[in-house]
Amino acid sequence: MSPPQQPTSINPNSLKIQLAYRFLHNLNNLNTKRSNLDNTRIRRSHRVKLAAYASMAYVVGSRRAWSRAILWKIRNRAVLARFKRVDHKITTPLRHHHVHAGSVKRRTPSCSNPKREYSDPFGNSGQEVKLRKLVPGSSTMDALGLLDETADYIKCLATQVEVMKNLVDLYSII
Amino acid sequence: MSRRSGGSTPRISDDQIIELVSKLQQLLPELRNRRPNKASASKVLQETCNYVRSLHKEVDDLSDRLSRLLSTIDDDSPQASIIRSLINNN
Repeated sequence: MSPPQQPTSINPNSLKIQLAYRFLHNLNNLNTKRSNLDNTRIRRSHRVKLAAYASMAYVVGSRRAWSRAILWKIRNRAVLARFKRVDHKITTPLRHHHVHAGSVKRRTPSCSNPKREYSDPFGNSGQEVKLRKLVPGSSTMDALGLLDETADYIKCLATQVEVMKNLVDLYSII
Repeated sequence: MSRRSGGSTPRISDDQIIELVSKLQQLLPELRNRRPNKASASKVLQETCNYVRSLHKEVDDLSDRLSRLLSTIDDDSPQASIIRSLINNN
């Protein structure tokens, strides 16, 4: 007689579990906070997306440049949005203000000199630049750091996608 | 390979790059099971960019679906109580 099957033990510290808890927590906040305002479909899906990135960055915390960059962007998005709007409205007479707004918009805590160029050890035209645009917070790293950061970012992003897929499946069984 | 950043940063060794590139390759679904297992760095970078972009797009799609499902969820359904208990236990 075969022994009863042991349930597989879940590691409570695994990335996936942590992401799931945090994402559910953020979603719950979303639902309770502004339940009747701003209920257009686009805004709701945008808020879910923000919750996803926020929970991802929160779980990783400040250990990684990409998570710091995401957290910074989210926490300051009200300010950034204001500067973006000012940017569009500004015409030539207020050019100095425009420059100021532009520079604040680009400033992130992890970067001291955003225009610094890095040599391209891969000898690939543009691939590295494209990657830097995709991975948040990676614009000031050297090539080695960029690769490392990308690997971590991909791992977390893929896990977050898995969590979201499972949630969608759960909610779809109606 | 002169670097404009100056200062005391050491030159990146080729071995380190190779190691990181292969580590990245393991994460990419396209290149994971390919032989020979060593893809060129440029291919790995290209696949990485594509993969990150596709992941971003998936997050967008899933957020869209989730927001639609969330709005229709019935508060008394069994799913809602599962979710609620999960949230409250943490």
